[in-house]
Amino acid sequence: MPSQVHDVVIIGSGASGAMTAYQLTKKGINCLLLEAGPNFDYSKDRQLRAVYDLPYRGFGKPGRFPHVTQANEFTAALWADEKQNPYTFDPKDPYYWVRIRRMGGKTLVWGRASWRLSNYEFKAKDHDGFGDNWPVSYADLAPYYDQCEPLLRVSGRIEKLPQLPDGVFLEDKSGDSASIARFISAAKQKGIPTTKQRRAQGTLASSANLLLPDALATGKLTILPNAIAREVTVDKATGKANGISFVDRRSKREFHVKARVVVLGASCLESTRLLLNSKLASSSGALGHYLFDQFYVKNTVQAIVPEARNGKAPGGLMGGTGYIPRFTNLDKKDTDYLRGYAVDFSSGGTPDPKYFPYYGEDLQKALAAHTNTGFNATTMGSVLPRFENHVSIDPVVKDAWGIPSLRISARYTANEFKMATDAMNTLSELCHTAGFEMLAQHDQMVPPGESIHELGTCRMGDNPKTSVLNKWNQTHDVKNVFVVDGSAFVTGGSQNPTLTITALAMRAADYMAEEMRKGNL
Amino acid sequence: MTTFMRRRRILQVAAGLPAAVALRAQNPYAAATSGKPDELPKLEAIPPDGVADSKPKFCSGLQLAALRRLADLIVPKLGETPGAADAQAAEFLDFLLSESPADRQSLYRNGLDALNAKGFLKADAAGAAAMLAPLGKPWTYKAPAEPLAAFLRTAKADILTATVNSKEWIQVVSQRNRNAAGTSLYWTEIA
Repeated sequence: MPSQVHDVVIIGSGASGAMTAYQLTKKGINCLLLEAGPNFDYSKDRQLRAVYDLPYRGFGKPGRFPHVTQANEFTAALWADEKQNPYTFDPKDPYYWVRIRRMGGKTLVWGRASWRLSNYEFKAKDHDGFGDNWPVSYADLAPYYDQCEPLLRVSGRIEKLPQLPDGVFLEDKSGDSASIARFISAAKQKGIPTTKQRRAQGTLASSANLLLPDALATGKLTILPNAIAREVTVDKATGKANGISFVDRRSKREFHVKARVVVLGASCLESTRLLLNSKLASSSGALGHYLFDQFYVKNTVQAIVPEARNGKAPGGLMGGTGYIPRFTNLDKKDTDYLRGYAVDFSSGGTPDPKYFPYYGEDLQKALAAHTNTGFNATTMGSVLPRFENHVSIDPVVKDAWGIPSLRISARYTANEFKMATDAMNTLSELCHTAGFEMLAQHDQMVPPGESIHELGTCRMGDNPKTSVLNKWNQTHDVKNVFVVDGSAFVTGGSQNPTLTITALAMRAADYMAEEMRKGNL
Repeated sequence: MTTFMRRRRILQVAAGLPAAVALRAQNPYAAATSGKPDELPKLEAIPPDGVADSKPKFCSGLQLAALRRLADLIVPKLGETPGAADAQAAEFLDFLLSESPADRQSLYRNGLDALNAKGFLKADAAGAAAMLAPLGKPWTYKAPAEPLAAFLRTAKADILTATVNSKEWIQVVSQRNRNAAGTSLYWTEIA
């Protein structure tokens, strides 16, 4: 039994790995899925607790997560421990690598925003001359988006915006609060489009509840938790991959599984790390390069809706959210930077006490007067993929299982800085037009990585000399190795990437299944 | 009901005693506890802050005194609403600082020493307010360059959090505002 050869071994149980398992098992292909973290039982692994009952009163243990700003004392156990899973960078250019090692991966807590990319991203070079096009177009991905949105139960509104293709939505027919309507009206006056959020619905919208149960029900999927992949192994005679070496997370016992096809969906940088440690798929020189993400300017503007002060908001004034899709540089170049940014905006809530220049009783009075008066907006900007932003294997540092760690080199450049400043000025203007009072504005991007939208480092392309993967997420160098996560992206736009990751993984799985049926894999 | 239990019940009835009394009188195990041997317990318990004094671990006596006064000024007790002193915010922050990175420790040490050097502990209300004047400046993304202003900004946020996350504060405020219950889903540490 241990020497059995699996049809497909998949690394990772998040959006991409689970989608690959879902699609392959539906077609009758046996899959073994390795997850680095533990399985979980929601009834045992989460419990309601009071913040004052935690040892650090909600602050969390100091220094435990220096690069995971999303972690708090309630969720600390969810995030990959930085001491067990170290990585390195030049202190001048910090990179915040945010990971989760549990069944379901980052889909356990993702923001659920589900936007399609358009040909403004897939064919970005054709539009502005920078970088490279994808080897696929929107038309290639559209049928897969059509299938992924119902699986994730995405709600949204049809808008017919060329830069933000519509999808198969649970139609969002909700109205807008008066404050949101004022902001939308201000945007419209400047020719800036807005729409409702497009989000996956449900109590939990994770691969763990939406994809893996159906895959298991086929009888074709075996899930192995606590299995940390060390290396893709290769048959020297054929040059093809023949399996995966892995180490048990708890015992550190070493294992190997054999497989006809190896699929990496370990997350953008973990899949690349695995290939680098395996010394595979590197002939192009592109492996590890073209790292990018979306930059965030969190709370770019924080304003208040003055009519809501002192609890006097009339019914229907406050509440609600919306989204500004990219609107710059579409049909012509209209800024001093390339591409553009998107914005999440929301009405309601009480602004953080830091925004009020008071303390003591004055502060408490200000907070009481501004309960449910807030309006804020966060910018998510397109980052240009550049060869020099890259990852490599650190020559010294290893993780708790003896696997060499990544060294990450990434920085934002003038294009991103200019875009962030433009976003701040534009949002400030829209708030003024809407009649909001500004509390604060800024254009300071969070460090690269913090948006948890890391992309690239295994990019697709038709040319094996400049890309790692072909248009089917298959490595040019080793035909039976596929990489199905965000590392395959050539450009990212300003849209959250998860929906596109699932569509690409589903498409790659269809190709794999067909090639296996033909005997080509 | 087992044979033993039936026999015991018959004896209780024959003696004309209430069942529980008879049980305790005749069964030394029952007399030892009113607990239920077949039920798993869920015992109510408290965090230590409410019943015990924490031992200072980071601050000197003067620094802790300054931190206490600062905390009381940032979040005073207002009517029924507990303040930072009720929440022992300064004592909690002393502990948190003892485990914090060096730059955070320096920020607090230098900030508290700077306040003490200005006579913060003996200053009257107007004098203390003058020392806290940097808190009256509008918020900017980047922390103030002046060290005391940077310290005060950090301390304001920390003292507020340490207070509103305390049992003392939550027990009172959650009566008025359901959102202030201070509970959330806690993920169990991975084994």
